[in-house]
Amino acid sequence: MSTIFPKWTNQLPTMLLGGALSTLVLVVGCMWYYATPKFWRAGYAPSQPYLSEQMESRLILNARAETRAPEIPGHTFPGFSHQIHAGKLGMDCRYCHSQIENSAEANIPTASTCMGCHADGHVDDVLYAKKSHVQFIRDAWEAGARFNEIEGLKKEGKHEEAEAKAKAYEHDALAVVEGGASIPWRRIHKLPDYVRNFPHNAHINAGVSCYSCHGAIHEMPIVHQVQPLSMSWCLECHANPTPYLVPKDKVTDLKWVRDQLEGNKNGAATKGSDVLGADTLGGVDQLKKLEQKPLHLLPQNCGACHF
Amino acid sequence: MSLDQCHSTVGELAVVKPRSVANDQIGVDGRKYWRGLEDAADAPEFRDWLEKELPTDASRLLESSRRTFLKLMGASVALAGAATLPGCRRPDHKIYPYSKNVPEDVIPGRSIYFATSIALPGGAVEGLLVESHEGRPTKLEGNPLHAGSNGKSSAMAQASILSLYDPDRLKDPRFTGLSKEENEKPRSWQDFSAWSMQHFGTLKDTQGAGLAFIVDKKRSPSRDAMKQRVKAMYPKAMWVAYDPTQSDDVVKGSEIAFGKPMREVLHLDKADVIVSFDRDFLGDDAAMIRNSRGFASKRSPLTTKDGMNRLYMVESSLSLTGAKADHRIAMAPGGIATVAAALASALGVAKSAADRIAGQMAGAAGEMSAETSKFVAELAKDLKAEGRTGKVVVLAGPSQPAAVHALCHSMNAALGAGGNTVHYRAMSEDEASSSVAGLKTIADALNAGKIGTLVCIGVNPAYDAPGDLKFADAMGKAAQRITLAAEPDETIERSTWHLPLAHTLESWGDLESVEGVFSPVQPMIAPLYGAKSELEVLAMICGDDLEKADGYELVRNVWKSRPGFTGANFEKAWRRGLNDGVFATAEKSAQPSVNDGPVAAALGAWTYSPASSDKMDLVFGMGAIGDGRFSNNAWLNELPDPITKVVWDNVALVSENTAKKFGLEQDPETDKKRYTKVIDISVGGQMIKAAPWTIPGIPDNTVVLRFGYGRVNVGLVGEGTGHNVYPISGLVGSSRRFAAGAKIVRATEGERDYQVVTTQHHGSMEGRAIVREVDLLAWQKFGDARDTNLDSYGNQRDLAFAERLGELSHTPVNINAYVNPQRGHKDGGVAKGTQAENGSSSYQYGSKDASGASRPVDFTKGPQWGMSIDLGSCTGCSACTIACQAENNIPVVGKIEVNKGREMHWIRVDRYFAGDSFTGINASSVFFQPVACVHCENAPCETVCPVNATVHGPEGINYMVYNRCIGTRYCANNCPYKVRRFNFFDYGVKKINGAYIGQEAMESVGAGPKNHNLIPPRLRERLDEITKLGMNPNVTIRSRGVMEKCNYCMQRINEARIEIKLKNLPGDREKIPDGFFQVACQQACPSDAITFGDLLDTKTPYPEAGGKTRTGSRAANLAANPRSYMLLGYLNARPRTTHMAGIRNPNPALVSEARQKLIDDPFHHGGHEGGHESEHEHAAEHKGEHAARPANNAFDPAKTITDSGYKLSLAVLGA
Repeated sequence: MSTIFPKWTNQLPTMLLGGALSTLVLVVGCMWYYATPKFWRAGYAPSQPYLSEQMESRLILNARAETRAPEIPGHTFPGFSHQIHAGKLGMDCRYCHSQIENSAEANIPTASTCMGCHADGHVDDVLYAKKSHVQFIRDAWEAGARFNEIEGLKKEGKHEEAEAKAKAYEHDALAVVEGGASIPWRRIHKLPDYVRNFPHNAHINAGVSCYSCHGAIHEMPIVHQVQPLSMSWCLECHANPTPYLVPKDKVTDLKWVRDQLEGNKNGAATKGSDVLGADTLGGVDQLKKLEQKPLHLLPQNCGACHF
Repeated sequence: MSLDQCHSTVGELAVVKPRSVANDQIGVDGRKYWRGLEDAADAPEFRDWLEKELPTDASRLLESSRRTFLKLMGASVALAGAATLPGCRRPDHKIYPYSKNVPEDVIPGRSIYFATSIALPGGAVEGLLVESHEGRPTKLEGNPLHAGSNGKSSAMAQASILSLYDPDRLKDPRFTGLSKEENEKPRSWQDFSAWSMQHFGTLKDTQGAGLAFIVDKKRSPSRDAMKQRVKAMYPKAMWVAYDPTQSDDVVKGSEIAFGKPMREVLHLDKADVIVSFDRDFLGDDAAMIRNSRGFASKRSPLTTKDGMNRLYMVESSLSLTGAKADHRIAMAPGGIATVAAALASALGVAKSAADRIAGQMAGAAGEMSAETSKFVAELAKDLKAEGRTGKVVVLAGPSQPAAVHALCHSMNAALGAGGNTVHYRAMSEDEASSSVAGLKTIADALNAGKIGTLVCIGVNPAYDAPGDLKFADAMGKAAQRITLAAEPDETIERSTWHLPLAHTLESWGDLESVEGVFSPVQPMIAPLYGAKSELEVLAMICGDDLEKADGYELVRNVWKSRPGFTGANFEKAWRRGLNDGVFATAEKSAQPSVNDGPVAAALGAWTYSPASSDKMDLVFGMGAIGDGRFSNNAWLNELPDPITKVVWDNVALVSENTAKKFGLEQDPETDKKRYTKVIDISVGGQMIKAAPWTIPGIPDNTVVLRFGYGRVNVGLVGEGTGHNVYPISGLVGSSRRFAAGAKIVRATEGERDYQVVTTQHHGSMEGRAIVREVDLLAWQKFGDARDTNLDSYGNQRDLAFAERLGELSHTPVNINAYVNPQRGHKDGGVAKGTQAENGSSSYQYGSKDASGASRPVDFTKGPQWGMSIDLGSCTGCSACTIACQAENNIPVVGKIEVNKGREMHWIRVDRYFAGDSFTGINASSVFFQPVACVHCENAPCETVCPVNATVHGPEGINYMVYNRCIGTRYCANNCPYKVRRFNFFDYGVKKINGAYIGQEAMESVGAGPKNHNLIPPRLRERLDEITKLGMNPNVTIRSRGVMEKCNYCMQRINEARIEIKLKNLPGDREKIPDGFFQVACQQACPSDAITFGDLLDTKTPYPEAGGKTRTGSRAANLAANPRSYMLLGYLNARPRTTHMAGIRNPNPALVSEARQKLIDDPFHHGGHEGGHESEHEHAAEHKGEHAARPANNAFDPAKTITDSGYKLSLAVLGA
């Protein structure tokens, strides 16, 4: 009797099973690694602020001409640099994000805040105010006056003139409102809508440094997301916050915190304590107290964030 | 054997009888409790319907067949290409910071509160605090500094925020009367300004001849000043202040009694006896908030020593006030007047005239029955009892003739009420003027061609004028019709100038409340559609240009000359006024004296004409949407009427007898849709259609109608809701609130199918002791005693008063089979009783310590939240429902969906009827019971969730985690309280009935989807971007397929906790002091029936009013009160929300025998017939139960097995 199937087909079920198993493992493995906020979210680094294409290209040209702004591969417009402001100039986070200690939301600076340095006649005109790639701040600042000017022209019935003016001022670049224009920024650190409660104020006041969630912002020309901001990542800290807490006066001192935290991780923490310089900085009491706090103060229950 | 059965009677039920329906309805106190007429009649199909979890339709996707569904899906797939997929890249999410002019005090992410006030239909004014998020008002709350609001607010005030963000609002001024294209063209305010300069300039030369104004009636100094300005400029112009719901009789009555129009300000907190002749002072009343608070302050005795007020009600409808009454008589309006006369006669007021009327009544078909006579005699005795002088009040309602109002003023004077329980304030000219008479003069002038320019501001006479005026037609006779309105309406439709009116939250103004508090109206947001306020438009009409017609300056200029605001004082007083929300409180005016002569004369001129089946009495009132201005407000439309529980409709209420007579009985509520037969009501030559509805407690030959529905030109929401009843109100010879001599006939066959949707039976609780109430005497007698008898297993009970009223006294003591070793205590716990375990969820131990070990949840530490709902105080007004809706972004589902049981309200107010009869002086009662998630410690929902989406928190809150929920709805099935709500559709993203992309294609396939919620969100037209502004940013917007429910306003708790932590308050900085925050329902409740707080806070001293100190939080105190009980306590779910048994205070002399029995033995229970002879015997019976049981008991063997198993389990657990 002739064989219908050749002999090697005897191994087919085994091979299929093996193949199916390894595919499954591969799929699970891929999901494990790739389908996570760590893969998808961390590293998101859009240029800032959000400007219209025309304005952006103009700024790029200007920036290139001045060759001062850093070139970052893949990013055409260098935009706002935290490296310069928070790192090089050493500005405190709270100079711009002024309400983090008071509000759940970390506020984005207003055009007025920018103009504090970037207005003509302030600080060093050449360095801070006259550059063409900070033109958009001045545009935003003057948009109110321009808006009124254009509205005035419209009122007088000079519609063509008004249109020409609007074009010249590149009104489409900014959300013009009465009294000024808002400079739109791209949101990088975004929690899902069903996370209703991430209070910046509570965390800052408890001694969680900006560094813990946002990373070494002061070294980033373009801010990118460092941490996955996933639930397990949140809970990791909530279960055992001690290694992440710093004395309150160091919360925004990113450089100090980075050195300490990295050192801590590498086992080079301040002698005799797993807590950052706790002995010398008077943080011990605070942390001891924290240990005794009832659970709800370090909430790990669903209702702490989801409602 | 049901769980609520008393074990002492097990023997009697040896043979398992088919379940007796009648038994089911009998509450534990032996009274029959029921929720609707079908319930009482207990039709088999009704029972069938009731026993299902949800109506059959609830899980059905479509109205009709599978075929329709496939068609729709096909069309939907075809359209999917049209709505292109978004790119796979992460979308840019933009953040817009402030720019140049950063608002002062605004901290992004934190809400701030501003004070303002709002005028509501019927002359009500409420002081408000507006929660504002970066300039967006999101929630309205009562202003605690405003003497009228006292920090509380009504459902209407709460819901008015939704009208602000209504996408149907008028956007631009329009000018019609030209060509079609020209009519469509949006105009600007400059256009109107230029036009009005010219137009009114000409009118000024003629002193305003041919100019007429119809403005809404309100008490506002700025508006009065503006009126003076208009009058000065156009002396010949007509000016009518118009309120479509106002009864002239109220004003006339005070004119007769005092010689000048006065309005009543009630001080019900000082009243011990309140008599109301059809006055719904807790519901449809301008001072509803104030009255609710005053009334409720004497409705909830916390100790057995506390007294109570007593409310006698004679009424023609079933109102909220009637539902709270201790004695209630249902009577046609004419009859009520005679009872008032009889009372006057018994009190010796206007004796001869009153005697004549009372006699007339006795003569007329014996309506003044012996029972009513007894009622009047006892009532008079009660009013004149010792020490009652000045502590009683007699009130007349708007349905009553002027003579009765005058008579009540007269009685109040005789009883010393004036200046004590009732104060009087003079009415302004506008307030006292007659709306109907004014409108009639204008209609006559219009018809005579004498009016060339008609200005309507904030009124809608084309819709709500009495039918005989034919105002809509008459309007067209004016050449220029200028109408200022917020939303499209009937008057706008007939106008030449359509002007958008600014919302209260967008405009400057001022208001005077009923009690004389002057409050500012200040804008919270720039007009969304560039609308202008009433004052601004009037100023423009008076010749101001656009710049000058500025609301802010207009109001300021008025106040610059008011007392206390003059000279250098002004700026300070003005700013203080804006900050507090109160400019000034009027001085107490001298109380007027009553002129008895005119009162007697008026009464003498009044004649009684009894209602009969061919001469029916009509009574009008306001329902959820007020006078019609909230017709396009979805929240108020979907708010179930407190009494009928009908949504999206106004029904014509008739008594059972009347319904039978005309063959109008409604279909029983079954799986089928519920239809009612449409009737024609005709009176005075006018006819309307109405949907009759039968509820108990309505007098025969009377039809109760509600204003505001049946609008024609209205936005998407209000379209096709109810019937317009205005045409038959306010006709010649009758008032707007009452009409006599009406005829009703059933409409022709074709029109006999009007669908009425109620939430009445949804979530019915099967006749167990859900709602509990006793009479005051029973409370005083038994309130302090506890039941410490042994249960049938020999375990010691410890039941307080209210617990003894229910099943707990008939079920074995709850012993937890499982004692959590980590709990560290066995019997301590929250408030009282044993502390049960908190569900079976693994996430209850979700928190881990540094070593990774689970930390147990401990209910003995930290705040443990709880709520107490006082059924004694609750008036059923439903403000809590709307407050919750506003706070928690709760969607509206529409009439069709409510019919399927898909309503989304997190807190509902259940209404129960009790007793057998709704006639006579011992008429049965109505009860209200707000029910939201009760946050069980042993939550049944938690144990069945397959994905742990509902879990317990360490503070006793039962969490609902939306992002985990996969929509199995097991939790809703297992919830004994039926408080879980499921998002069948993406209700949150669009408005019902909205347009969508591809509508034409869909409609070409079939008739288009009947349910617009079926349109996928991505296809919906983005009509309502604006409505997103009104959402509370601190609460998730739930999507389709997600369960939701009350979460004790967790956002507020968390916010308070962070606040306390950061504030570093002295003392225990982890503890949130009682009263530091309020949950939304508690905050709104006008009668203070809802209390929320930490149940473990039992030691902290809190200062209270009157220099007293309270120990512990209010919630903890109330939870420990003997009046508190747990809903379905015998299930051992251990709810954190406890209810407090209501107390009523009937006159002992009027109490029937049956009721007296209940007073003597309130623990009598009717779960099985016969009850117990006495509590003592009951206990004895329990003790000897096992020995005494006959051997041939069919139940015994099973029982023995249960018993031994039970004992064994106890032994194993070492309990």
